[in-house]
Amino acid sequence: MMRRLEPHPGEWLDRSARLHFRFEGRDYTGFAGDTISSALAAAGVPYLGRSFKYHRARSIWSFANHDSNVLFQVDGVPNVRGDVTPLRDAMQIHAINTFGGLTHDKARILGRFAPWLPVGFYYKAFHSKRWFPRWERMFRSLTGLGTVKLDAAREPTPKRYGFCDVLVIGAGPTGLAAADEAARLGARVALVEESFRIGGSARGRLAVASEEQQSLQSLIDKVQNSPAIDVLPATFAAGYYADHWVALDEGVRLTKMRARAVVFATGVIEQPAVFRNNDLPGVMAASGALRLLSRYRVAPGSRVVIVAANLEAYAACLELHAHGIAVAAIVDLRPEGEDDATARTCAALGVRIVPAHAPYEAVSGSDGRVRALDIAPLDAGGRVDARRRQRLDCDCVLTSIGWAPAAQLLLQAGATLRFDSGLQQFVPDTLPPGLFAAGRLNGIYEFPERCADGRYAGAAAAAHAGFGAVAHARVPRTTRRPSHAFPIIDHPQAQNFVDFDEDLQVKDLENAVQEGFDSSELLKRFSTVGMGPSQGKHSNMNALRILARARGLPIEALGLTTARPMYHPVPMKLLAGRGFEVLRRTPLDAEHAALGAVWMPAGHWRRPEYYARSGETRADSIAAEVRAVRERVGLIDVGTLGKIEIYGPQAGEFLDRVYAGNFARLRVGMTRYGLMLDESGVIVDDGVVARLREDAYYFTTTTSGAATVFRELLRLNALWGLDCALVNVTGHRAAVNFAGPASRALLQDLTDVDLGEAAFPYLGVREGRVAGATARLLRVGFVGEWGYEIHVAASAAAGVWRALLAAGSDQGLRPFGVEAQRALRLEKGHLIVGQDTDGLTDPIQANALWAVDTQKPFFIGQRSLKILERRPPRQVLTGIEILDATRMPKECHLIIDGGAIRGRVTSIVRSQTLGRTIGLAMLAPELAAPGTALTIRIEAGAMLAARVVPTPFYDPKNTRQKVQAAAALSSVPLAVSP
Amino acid sequence: MSASDRPAASAVALERLPPRERFGCKGPRAADWLAAHGILTPSRANTWTVSGEGDSELLVARLGAAEFFVESAADGRRRSHTDSRADAAVDAAVDAAVDGVVDAAVDGVVDGVVTAAARKLATHPAGVYPVLREDWCLALSGAACDDVLVQVCNLQFAALDPAERPVIMTLMVGVAVLVVPQAAADGTRCYRIWCDPTFGVYLSETLGAIVLESGGKLTGVSV
Repeated sequence: MMRRLEPHPGEWLDRSARLHFRFEGRDYTGFAGDTISSALAAAGVPYLGRSFKYHRARSIWSFANHDSNVLFQVDGVPNVRGDVTPLRDAMQIHAINTFGGLTHDKARILGRFAPWLPVGFYYKAFHSKRWFPRWERMFRSLTGLGTVKLDAAREPTPKRYGFCDVLVIGAGPTGLAAADEAARLGARVALVEESFRIGGSARGRLAVASEEQQSLQSLIDKVQNSPAIDVLPATFAAGYYADHWVALDEGVRLTKMRARAVVFATGVIEQPAVFRNNDLPGVMAASGALRLLSRYRVAPGSRVVIVAANLEAYAACLELHAHGIAVAAIVDLRPEGEDDATARTCAALGVRIVPAHAPYEAVSGSDGRVRALDIAPLDAGGRVDARRRQRLDCDCVLTSIGWAPAAQLLLQAGATLRFDSGLQQFVPDTLPPGLFAAGRLNGIYEFPERCADGRYAGAAAAAHAGFGAVAHARVPRTTRRPSHAFPIIDHPQAQNFVDFDEDLQVKDLENAVQEGFDSSELLKRFSTVGMGPSQGKHSNMNALRILARARGLPIEALGLTTARPMYHPVPMKLLAGRGFEVLRRTPLDAEHAALGAVWMPAGHWRRPEYYARSGETRADSIAAEVRAVRERVGLIDVGTLGKIEIYGPQAGEFLDRVYAGNFARLRVGMTRYGLMLDESGVIVDDGVVARLREDAYYFTTTTSGAATVFRELLRLNALWGLDCALVNVTGHRAAVNFAGPASRALLQDLTDVDLGEAAFPYLGVREGRVAGATARLLRVGFVGEWGYEIHVAASAAAGVWRALLAAGSDQGLRPFGVEAQRALRLEKGHLIVGQDTDGLTDPIQANALWAVDTQKPFFIGQRSLKILERRPPRQVLTGIEILDATRMPKECHLIIDGGAIRGRVTSIVRSQTLGRTIGLAMLAPELAAPGTALTIRIEAGAMLAARVVPTPFYDPKNTRQKVQAAAALSSVPLAVSP
Repeated sequence: MSASDRPAASAVALERLPPRERFGCKGPRAADWLAAHGILTPSRANTWTVSGEGDSELLVARLGAAEFFVESAADGRRRSHTDSRADAAVDAAVDAAVDGVVDAAVDGVVDGVVTAAARKLATHPAGVYPVLREDWCLALSGAACDDVLVQVCNLQFAALDPAERPVIMTLMVGVAVLVVPQAAADGTRCYRIWCDPTFGVYLSETLGAIVLESGGKLTGVSV
């Protein structure tokens, strides 16, 4: 049984601060400095979790922040990693993935069905379309880890960028030496360590030679006192991105660290021996047990058996002995055992050493923990002789049979590894420039050599970053074999687990290979090996060995899989960071707010959807706004439009190239609708182009397209090298549309521009002053009424807005929002790019060929358009009218003909002006003739009758742009409330 | 940076600076044109310099090869009394309509070096094109200001040498900004940050929240 030992100077605990916490409804105590796992282990809790599939009892295995066994629900937060989460007072901790609690988990019965739940069973059993929803519900309730609380409070976390010359990942002896050397050469170093303290696993161990401990402590002191080294403990590198960007999870924030060079001193990860019941609580990685012992003073057991295949197992024995823990035996898989002074010391201490034997089966006691280990002779071919097995009583089994490199970050960075059969380990083969690997990851295991290798890598990294030069010799790799070639023991009753996350046994992988999933990638995807919370840190290497055996190939013939970032789970809150959400406000934002604007998002902008007034519903307000524009005058902020100026002798030629229409011939003082296409002839943007002078144009883009269009125009200008320059004034200029029959008369009182029809015709542009501010006026008719877009400097906008409102206050003026504008423009049949068009719509389909000058020598999309003109269009934008006045389709509802989808509604509105429901639709061309009957499928599959009608729906002859009509209308009595 | 630009001593402080006379221009002859009008320009791209002194002191930033940003060192705008184009009838209508709230000091109706140059620019000299600058301007200062910047921008501001007078055009929390780092008298950094005014509130609030979280001080910025 695990228990807390007496205090020791090197422990990480503050025994003066006792912490009280609750686990699965029972009260426990721990100390400040404890992690959840160490506190529970010290309290003697027999097991801490249930496995994912068979709900087997599990406890600490690696104590290295890898295990799915020790994930908890803590104070409502799911999947908290017990190995590395500091214990807090009053913590409420629960096991995850249980039905009825950890001890009485009802789902543990699933273990009995294991023979009928082989690998990939779900692919074969649950494919029926009819029954799938039922299976899905069942699996969703059965599987999963912690419970996400949807009402959890949001925790915005900082996200930051970090910069250094050399990033060293891993602060064991290798990383410390690398950091020290790089700093010595003048580099600014960031040293990242996953553990709470730097120094590596050997720090503070009693059985490590005193000169090694002193050397390590000296290195630690040097690094901690170096002003050039930024030490980041409790931080892990979770992902590698191009140009040496490394994502660092610091627990409370995510740092995007950019380094000039990176040293990977990430070490190796201890691998499990695979034998029957190797997942029983009490079976642990020896390295994990030693961390638990030396840092938290938790004895892993009272009578320990060590399963060995390397020197580290014997060192573990000496460490346990130094702490007063009895080692019953060392069971060495190797026929020759270990011929080292360490092993001889173990023997001299009276520890029984059993070479050429393997663990055959761990035996559980009444409390679910291991109580004995059955071992059996192991021959050179890896076969055990079960008839000659013997039982070793114990309460803890530690395994130390081999390692796998912690190389996933290195693989993400583009390094290649090769399998060193001498070491039985993958080692770096080729490294991209600026990356360096050192230490055990590099196949170098002994302390002095690891330090020397670290110094070599540190110097090389510093040199790459521009500091000093490498003056060290390369360190040769270790010649002993730290990892066993095949630490996997067959058992007729299986339950010899390769992947603890997914409860995968040896036979599961063998069956997958037999079914043809015989590459590392296919095996991973079919069996899900390595796809759980530990991301294969404990399972991929053994799975690869099983695959190699099954295929009769050497391991080097098989490929390694590369985990995508994040290599290690990162809380979503850290990924989200503060959640920056850009919000643009037009210069008139405060004016809108004061007028009761109800906001709606429009790209990054917020815009008034409508202006709420007391006693009016939303529909009332929108209808009144529409009516004001149609009958008197309205004012809308259109400052969100992209606004670009282009100057220079070749400005016209530039516009001719980027727009489909002709602008070099546009008269000064006039505007023209512009349609922008991409190379495939698809409409990507539109706007109004105004010619201010011979060499100066001013044009608008769509609200959402402004930034993209400007970037593309800059690119094209650089590419073409024309004598012109672009200026984006989108945010620096405000714009309003003052529209309605009364607009001309009201505006004339505020401006020095002659608004007479002859002096300022429809589609004209003039510059002058409006309400004292320098302004550009564009006579456009987007909403179908006589009106002016007034563009002024942003700082002048509020004054002009107020002046216009004041001028129209007794004339029925209403500010109008986006909803009213949508209705007004739709009545006029004007399309909105991105709403009435999609990613495939060309001018032919949009009925916009009138805006294309096909005679021009060149414009973007011209060649494609010529090809498209020779083909029948796939769809056509068409006006529609809904025949049922009581129901309305929604945008994107489908048009059905003969049981097939033949189109979709792109815009729809109930027009108060026309007294009918009108819209635009993309239709199959054969349905586009006026008068054609249509059927639209709306909610719940109901059908709605409609018919094709010509556009514009309103004022088809454009009489509203003629002065007589406007004058007549502006003199009618007020029908709308001001 | 003048003393008035700097918020009070604090680990970090953010202040919204009052509007100043400023204009921009670009084009193949922009540098020559500015020089002809007595405005000193930086010789290197993406650097800034000071032109003139006293009330005529200007910050002149060269943005790339052929674009310039010119800002007066003096705060505020002055109402013009010489706007020959102002139409009395229009003024009367405006005043009557809006009770005098229209700020006629906008769009260059001020005196001073900047305005004079901007007026001349409005006459469309060949090869020189006006760039309307209605920027929102902030000052971030204090010993901890680099800690704020690393949370909002992937550029390493701390590595910049203010003595080299760099001008930075980058993205900050998704907003295109123009940044000039300057050394304060106490050895700390101060950054002048300009952005499109429609992003101004968002940028101020976002930076302001981080500054407050860092124990800093806000002036003219609400969160």
